[in-house]
Amino acid sequence: MAKKVVTVVKLQIPAAKATPAPPVGPALGQAGINIMGFAKEFNARTADQAGMIIPVVISVYEDRSFDFITKTPPAAVLLKKAAGVEKGSGEPNTKKVATVTKAQVKEIAETKMQDLNAASVEAAMRMVEGTARSMGFVVED
Amino acid sequence: MEWTQVDVLTTSEAVEAIANILTEQGASGIQIDDSQDIQNYQKADETVVIDWDEIKYQQTGAKVIGYFPQDVFVTEALPVIENKIKQLAEFGLAYAPGTVKVKALADDHWATAWKKYYRPVRLTRHLTIVPAWDDYQKVQTQEQLIVLDPGMAFGTGTHPTTRLMIEALTIIVRGSETMLDVGTGSGVLSIAAKHLGVKQITATDIDQVAVDKAKENLALNPIAQDVTVKVSDLLADVEQTNVDLIVANILAEVIVPLIPQAWAKLRPGGHFLTSGIIADKLDLIIEQQTKQGFIVDQQLKIGDWCGLIAHKPAVNESNQFTAQG
Repeated sequence: MAKKVVTVVKLQIPAAKATPAPPVGPALGQAGINIMGFAKEFNARTADQAGMIIPVVISVYEDRSFDFITKTPPAAVLLKKAAGVEKGSGEPNTKKVATVTKAQVKEIAETKMQDLNAASVEAAMRMVEGTARSMGFVVED
Repeated sequence: MEWTQVDVLTTSEAVEAIANILTEQGASGIQIDDSQDIQNYQKADETVVIDWDEIKYQQTGAKVIGYFPQDVFVTEALPVIENKIKQLAEFGLAYAPGTVKVKALADDHWATAWKKYYRPVRLTRHLTIVPAWDDYQKVQTQEQLIVLDPGMAFGTGTHPTTRLMIEALTIIVRGSETMLDVGTGSGVLSIAAKHLGVKQITATDIDQVAVDKAKENLALNPIAQDVTVKVSDLLADVEQTNVDLIVANILAEVIVPLIPQAWAKLRPGGHFLTSGIIADKLDLIIEQQTKQGFIVDQQLKIGDWCGLIAHKPAVNESNQFTAQG
């Protein structure tokens, strides 16, 4: 029998640490999902990635059952890892805090290609590069 | 706790950058409503259909929502957020409109919205979980009710991990046992165990909210009113030893450090029941329990979730087996 999707929710939350607090509670409570059931399942499935922020897309079906798919970490997280810094710049246009190469940007764009809403690798690279520069990273050739 | 919600209307292209801006300003989690996510939606399998007339989604562009806990001064963070969004154009990201809206999050609605989908569930021949607000009438005389208002504590009783543990309890409990319930959450397993005949139970949870909720639920179930509940990191603050039974429906990562503690608290011949183990962690938990000296008697499984029934060997157990031949 066909399962009808009634809501799709996308969140970015720390791996292994989902709790009923926002964003999980408000996003899923309104969709009628058993919040604790989701938290338990998400935490179990992401335990190996503890410390990372994980995007997750949750599909809620008509009978209020759900499933979810975890995605590649956010571009900003991958950029910080590539540059070896923990935080972006407070003043990204004047104070540069890290440097990444175009090759690294391309690698991240390719890693994230399946999860970004980009029509091409070039468009994905533009998103990743823009994100890098918005964090005060210099992107060099 | 009070929360503040910051909504930013933008484009799909700027979602990643804006999510990072909100996170760096103290948002503890992000929700993304991106029109293109729905258009590019990956179905779990071919039986899944989307009803385009019914599904609610962002029709154009994207909305990035940051949730800020009360210890973040959003009024101070807000100008920084707005300024950083405006700068995105300089970095080659089209972000328009970039409108920022702030609102206090009323927590009553989301905290209770799921309740209307929570219904009585007959778990076994003898045990039925009944929401505290439901006027459920027994279908058969032998049915025993577990009345629950799980609130924000783990354990609605319907999750496969709870069902596995109740199955394990049903197999092992003979009556009059002493038991420790580790990570009790809503208290569901303690109530079930009392119905099955366990005599004396101490339940623990690391979370004070869960301990308070468990106490409320135990009070709703006359049979379980003598269960002791306390805050404890696993069994660190539990004094009892020589217990007959230890149950833990937590996650594999938390079961690992519990194994030596459970060994120390159980009497020889006592049982250690564990659940909340995702399938790919099962081998690890069996290995750790066996290494400790436990004998794993039975594996239970529902979907990707596993439970284990193990016991600490009796003092002369190997001899007994030899004698029985």
